Amino acid sequence: MIYKLSVPAAVPGVDEIRILEWQGTPGTAFEAGDLIVELETHKAVVEVRAGQSGILRELRAEPGDWRGVGLVLAVFSDRADEAIPAGDGDADLKVEFEIT
Amino acid sequence: MSADHGVASTKIYFREANVRALREEMRQNPRVLILGQDVGAFGGSYREFDGLYREFGAARVRDTPVAEAASIGIGVGAAASGFRPLVCITYMDFLMLGFDPLINYAAKLRYKTGGLLTAPVVVKTTAGAFGQGVAHSQCLEAWLMSVPGLRVVAPSTPADAYGLMKTALRSDGPVVYIDHKRLFPIPGEVPDAETFIPFGQAVVRKSGSDVTVATHGFMVRIALEAALILEGEGVSAEVIDLRSLAPLDINTVAQSVSKTGALVTLEEGQTTCGVGAEVAARLYECMGMRPWARIGALPAPVSSNPVLEAATIPDAARVVTAIHLLLGQ
Repeated sequence: MIYKLSVPAAVPGVDEIRILEWQGTPGTAFEAGDLIVELETHKAVVEVRAGQSGILRELRAEPGDWRGVGLVLAVFSDRADEAIPAGDGDADLKVEFEIT
Repeated sequence: MSADHGVASTKIYFREANVRALREEMRQNPRVLILGQDVGAFGGSYREFDGLYREFGAARVRDTPVAEAASIGIGVGAAASGFRPLVCITYMDFLMLGFDPLINYAAKLRYKTGGLLTAPVVVKTTAGAFGQGVAHSQCLEAWLMSVPGLRVVAPSTPADAYGLMKTALRSDGPVVYIDHKRLFPIPGEVPDAETFIPFGQAVVRKSGSDVTVATHGFMVRIALEAALILEGEGVSAEVIDLRSLAPLDINTVAQSVSKTGALVTLEEGQTTCGVGAEVAARLYECMGMRPWARIGALPAPVSSNPVLEAATIPDAARVVTAIHLLLGQ
């Protein structure tokens, strides 16, 4: 199955965030609890952690890029050989986030 | 990085615009100092001094106790003896503790000494309601506009935050530089080249033909939101961002009102003796009476209750209603 990771509405009043650092590259397998990406708001770093296992397949944003809340950051799949559809996929990757 | 309109720029936050202006000026002039609560290793309450302590050290980036009068007093004294301090007062509400050194000493020093001494101090502070209650939410900029010798600026974009701060740090007299809490989460493009925004130059944020809205700070965004709603109702509003309240650029407002024929002033502070009252009076002095409506906070303290806070502060719906009433619609 294909999953998308979108910018979470993590901080009230923040409509747009900057990608700080990815903790993996296409092919990296994540388990629940693993840190996937750090996002930066005007005052905080949002740590986005996997809420399920999955394989990172495509990055749709690079460190330093800006993305609005709800826009896709990356695409994941259950198996490494699943074809990635042209669109974003329907399912959201389960995530947990922590604001530091 | 991007290159909109042929000018290379980078999208950054307000705090980063502050840091960039300060870093450039501190590198260029060893007499630029920072004083304030938590400005040192902590990097500022809003991270607006991030990295400066590491680069410039404790002698130039000095933490002060919770003593606003003393902090501004020390800043004014240091300015009179040849330094260029920026004093950070986290909340504008507490600026009033430092009015004596700021108003009686810094703003008057050039006059009192026949021009022999100046106090090139910048007091950076943060205004606005953002869920922090009666004594951490006020917009008091209109109080400051009536002080001869004091300059007052209030950016609404990171580019202006950078450019106005650069000009403030080169200014010869005291400047109060006012950020707004609600603007901090909103990034914006800032030119990569060194840029100064001169004081006393307003800017048209949106052109229109039926009514002029003159405003500043976070209310620029409310005005633009209202203008978008009005556009759908067939009313074309021109939005002017004053940017600099003292000196005030009345010419840009007058040019706009001579085209639109009507003025709305919009501020988050109180309307009595407010920024809008001053804009309207100066406009009438130069072009005669025109239809005018003023919008500001209701005459009550900004509440600690979020529902009442929202009820007190102008929003786009209030601006739209006021403009329809003014235009007799």
